[in-house]
Amino acid sequence: MSIADFMKRFPWWHEVILGVLLAGLLSVVGVVNPQFLNLKGQLLLSRHLWEFALLALPMTLIILTGGIDLSVGASMGMCAVAFGLCHANTGSLALSCLVCLLIGTAGGAVNGWLVSRMNVHPLIVTLATYATFRGLAEGTSQGESYSQFGDGFSQLARGMWWGVPIPAYLFALMAITCALYLSKTPSGRYIYAIGHNELATRFSGANVDRLKFRLYTFSGFMAGLATIIYVSRFDTAKADAGTGFELDVITAVVVGGTSIYGGRGNIGGTVLGLLLIHETRLFVSRQWQIEELRSIVIGLLLIGSLLLYRVVRPVHRD
Amino acid sequence: MNALADIAIKLLRQREVGLVLLILLVTAIVSLVDPGFLDDRNLKDILVRSAPTVIVACGVMLVVVTAEIDISVGSLMALLAALMGLMISHNEWQLSMWIGIPTVLLCGTLIGLLTGALVTLGNVPSIIVTLGLLTAIRGATTLLMGGENIDGLPDELQTLSKVGPAGMPLGVWTAVAVLIVTQIIITHTPLGRRLFALGSSDYSARMTGLSATRLKLFAFAYTGFLTALATVVDVPRLPKIESGIGSGFELLVVTCVVVGGVSIAGGRGRLGGVVLSVILLTMVRPVLTFLDVGEAGEKWTKAIQGLFILIAVITDTVVSRSRRGGARNTSSRGTQVAVPRDATGGPAA
Amino acid sequence: MADSLIQVDRLFKSYGGVHALENVTLDLRAGEVHALCGENGAGKSTLIKILSGVIAPDSGEVRIDGRPLPAGKVHATEDAGVVAMHQESTVFPDLDAVDNLFVGRELRRWGGLLLDRSAMRKQTSDLLAQLGEDIDPTRPVGELPIAQRQMVAMARALSRDCRLLIMDEPTASLSGRETEFLLQLVRKFCEQGVAVLYVSHRLEEVFQIADRVTVLRDGRLVETRDISSINTDDLIRMMVGREGAELVGRQARTGSFGGDVLRVNNLRRDGVFEDVSFTVRAGEVVGLAGLVGAGRSEVARALFGIGPCDGGTITVAGQELPTGSVAKAMACGLALVPEDRQHEGLVLPMSVGANLSLAVLRSLTRNGFVSNRLEQELAEHQIAALSVRTAGTAAAAETLSGGNQQKLVVGKWLASRPRVLILDEPTRGVDVGAKAQLHRLIRRLADEGMATLMISSELPEILSVSDRILVIREGRISGELDGVNATPEQVLALALPDEREVAVPS
Repeated sequence: MSIADFMKRFPWWHEVILGVLLAGLLSVVGVVNPQFLNLKGQLLLSRHLWEFALLALPMTLIILTGGIDLSVGASMGMCAVAFGLCHANTGSLALSCLVCLLIGTAGGAVNGWLVSRMNVHPLIVTLATYATFRGLAEGTSQGESYSQFGDGFSQLARGMWWGVPIPAYLFALMAITCALYLSKTPSGRYIYAIGHNELATRFSGANVDRLKFRLYTFSGFMAGLATIIYVSRFDTAKADAGTGFELDVITAVVVGGTSIYGGRGNIGGTVLGLLLIHETRLFVSRQWQIEELRSIVIGLLLIGSLLLYRVVRPVHRD
Repeated sequence: MNALADIAIKLLRQREVGLVLLILLVTAIVSLVDPGFLDDRNLKDILVRSAPTVIVACGVMLVVVTAEIDISVGSLMALLAALMGLMISHNEWQLSMWIGIPTVLLCGTLIGLLTGALVTLGNVPSIIVTLGLLTAIRGATTLLMGGENIDGLPDELQTLSKVGPAGMPLGVWTAVAVLIVTQIIITHTPLGRRLFALGSSDYSARMTGLSATRLKLFAFAYTGFLTALATVVDVPRLPKIESGIGSGFELLVVTCVVVGGVSIAGGRGRLGGVVLSVILLTMVRPVLTFLDVGEAGEKWTKAIQGLFILIAVITDTVVSRSRRGGARNTSSRGTQVAVPRDATGGPAA
Repeated sequence: MADSLIQVDRLFKSYGGVHALENVTLDLRAGEVHALCGENGAGKSTLIKILSGVIAPDSGEVRIDGRPLPAGKVHATEDAGVVAMHQESTVFPDLDAVDNLFVGRELRRWGGLLLDRSAMRKQTSDLLAQLGEDIDPTRPVGELPIAQRQMVAMARALSRDCRLLIMDEPTASLSGRETEFLLQLVRKFCEQGVAVLYVSHRLEEVFQIADRVTVLRDGRLVETRDISSINTDDLIRMMVGREGAELVGRQARTGSFGGDVLRVNNLRRDGVFEDVSFTVRAGEVVGLAGLVGAGRSEVARALFGIGPCDGGTITVAGQELPTGSVAKAMACGLALVPEDRQHEGLVLPMSVGANLSLAVLRSLTRNGFVSNRLEQELAEHQIAALSVRTAGTAAAAETLSGGNQQKLVVGKWLASRPRVLILDEPTRGVDVGAKAQLHRLIRRLADEGMATLMISSELPEILSVSDRILVIREGRISGELDGVNATPEQVLALALPDEREVAVPS
């Protein structure tokens, strides 16, 4: 086997590249700013990460089928307003959380219905619901922000168990569930198969439409869940919750090695992608105290990583 | 009876007809509530607000026609606005307008070319390239402006952007010019027809010897140029240049292009539909103002825009389904006949 | 000897070890209609693709006026005057007729800046008028009826300055009147000195229009003859070949069948097939023969629930099967090995193991998770049972040769333990060795009691494997033959669209 052949067949390129990039970044950081690398500080700083980490899980599954969900950020806005309104009217946190999850799931189901039953391109569907969800949030809340949910509630996002932020446990649980679902269940296998060749998957008897519907609905549910954490962290529920999250989330997933055409990628890659982006942001904003550099670096990282993958592995376009 | 229904369906299949009806309906209702809606000033205001969207949509439409997408135009507009402000504002570098403006146009075109090169030569999907640029360029803009707003653009430019020749702002005139040029490109040049051909079937395009790379490079560069043009004519209208200019603009433009009937799969679409959908979506806010729903109502702008898109998408699906149903008898047989497949079953690798 | 315009010199082309063309040499003269005949899979399409520059041959060359044509370059080939009229594959469905004719070589004015639309429109309507077609040149071609789309493709070919016109099944979807007209046109072009290479399944057309005919079989040239020197029977015999008479492995197999497993009643899909009724018994292989486009695959897909179906009933082992659901068809014990293994049968980038288990994943689970062990066992078992040659269960399916890919698809469906196995072109593009293995496998499964419906375009395959043969012509079952005693001539006579009398030796 020639070296070029080996390079083409080696299945873990994305993970290796990501690992090397991450290690490189961390060692640079270690030299430049040793205090930055301490674990406790890192865990404290990680609280910015969890909401969009939660969203990255369903996004990975959706992109693996060759789809996309641009509406997750807007969906968070809608969920946040639902949460705030419910709390303002009933005073019940439990009920508010439930409503928040329900609204998110319903929004996801609308996406799923349009994509799977009406056969509309996911990009168009979620572009439309992107505007609709955010608009509904702005309309119903009238720009008002809801707050004062109590200290107990804000502990959900800010609290620590054994030195680890509570949302981290939630993320770990969901990530492991998704990873198992993707790698071990028949549906997980179908997700990859759809991404590579939807027609052959239909010929194999898989219920492709139902599976897609479920994935988009799940994405909506996770937006609801992320909103709860978000609201808890800021102790504020406002229509602008999650603005721009969809881009960060997609960036993390794609940098994590998931092919935008579907069929290739995994949850592990997405976790690495999330970490890489998170650390890059922290480091850049720490080091130069310039917030804007962050988005430049991340935008370039997104394009650069794909160019790099192209060099290592040839395109697989159907 | 049946014939009438047939004609109605045929007409409704033309996206423009539906959009015009919708615009007329909305206008009728609002002017019943408040005749002031038909006031010159208000109509002019709608035109002025539509102008930059129309200009950029002409470019994005051509990109979408080749089955690609560009969602970086909002950020690009901000970057170019900042660049222009820095160069020609009398509080900043104080360059001449005649140096500043061509530079902005050139930069826009070059960034468009770069986008196209990444898509065609770099083989990175356009949604990813423009997503990355969206983020990166926005960051670069804020960095460039250093957290300060820019004002003090040359007076001539500011005046022109508000009241140009014949009382119409420069933006509107530019939009008209761009529309004419784009329409000519689409219908009267080989280039335009090839863009549509490429989007319609890239297999057939290859068989005919068209160069996908060159065609797509043009579409992206044209979009970049038009974004710069929109920046030059529209941004001076604002009291000052902020780094947040154009955020959400990219999605508005793509939305208008899609609602206007341009197929995201490429190959299909008309400029008229795009212009009408820009006007329709721009109208939403003034309409709400005139319905006197107050501050509260205006907050629903985005929701209503979103619903318009959903309606467009769903009717499109329903209509095209009925069309496919009707054509099935004739086409289904033909497609299978048409696939000559002797002995092509070698392994892919 | 008339002046020879095009020389095709010793062309070879193979796909994954299978020869699609082997040492094909022929010449085409200016002003002649040269018919190209052969069964499906004989190599006609490959030859056409090479001539029109879509693909390059492995070796050999094509010369025009003694100068070699650039291999594999469409544009240069067209410039040299060789224009192919593929069926509708090179039409731009969203563009109107004018653009379809001229895109890539537009007529211009104003120093080449702008299109000369009026001239192009005029030329288009002239060309279409020549073709006797009244087509609205402003409608997207994709919305036109298929016959008119065909005419646009024809006009497109004619708008080039052509010296050799290749026509691939130009009348496949035309009515009698349209066909008549087209044949007159072809004659007219020939009188202007154009050479026409004419491919058609309709033999009466061949006799009506052609000056010479070349027959291909299994990628090899059988013979080039003057049309006046042969009759229909000779031509069919040349197409079918000698092995048609002495098929390997044919033997009496009657008497050992079980009860009806699959029973199809009046199955109908509007405009595609109708009134399709037949049964398949346990242990029986029923061959479904007919031309490409006669509706065979569509019947198979309707049975399996993946293609549309507008009426009729399907019963599997006495149980009525609801149409339109693959999952239900599978639950009833149906399996379909589809005709296009690369797009419908396999997920090429996925591993051999994953492909083998894709249709039966649910039965390989332990507590909801796919068991690696069960999946591995299944994969190894099927690989061994079907002797698939692969680097291992983890190798991507796309690294396998055509024959082994096909075994993979069959294995994938055998894993679901079906009662009825539907095979659509089970050996298309498969080399001789794998073909024989697949044939033996189909027979063995039948002996073990499988009810099999096999669609095939290859007559020898149909004749040697089937117990009973159904022939489909234009969406209807045109006849049923006994598998052991049927002759190729009988099958062809039932399959060809014209009702001409073919002498049936009995």
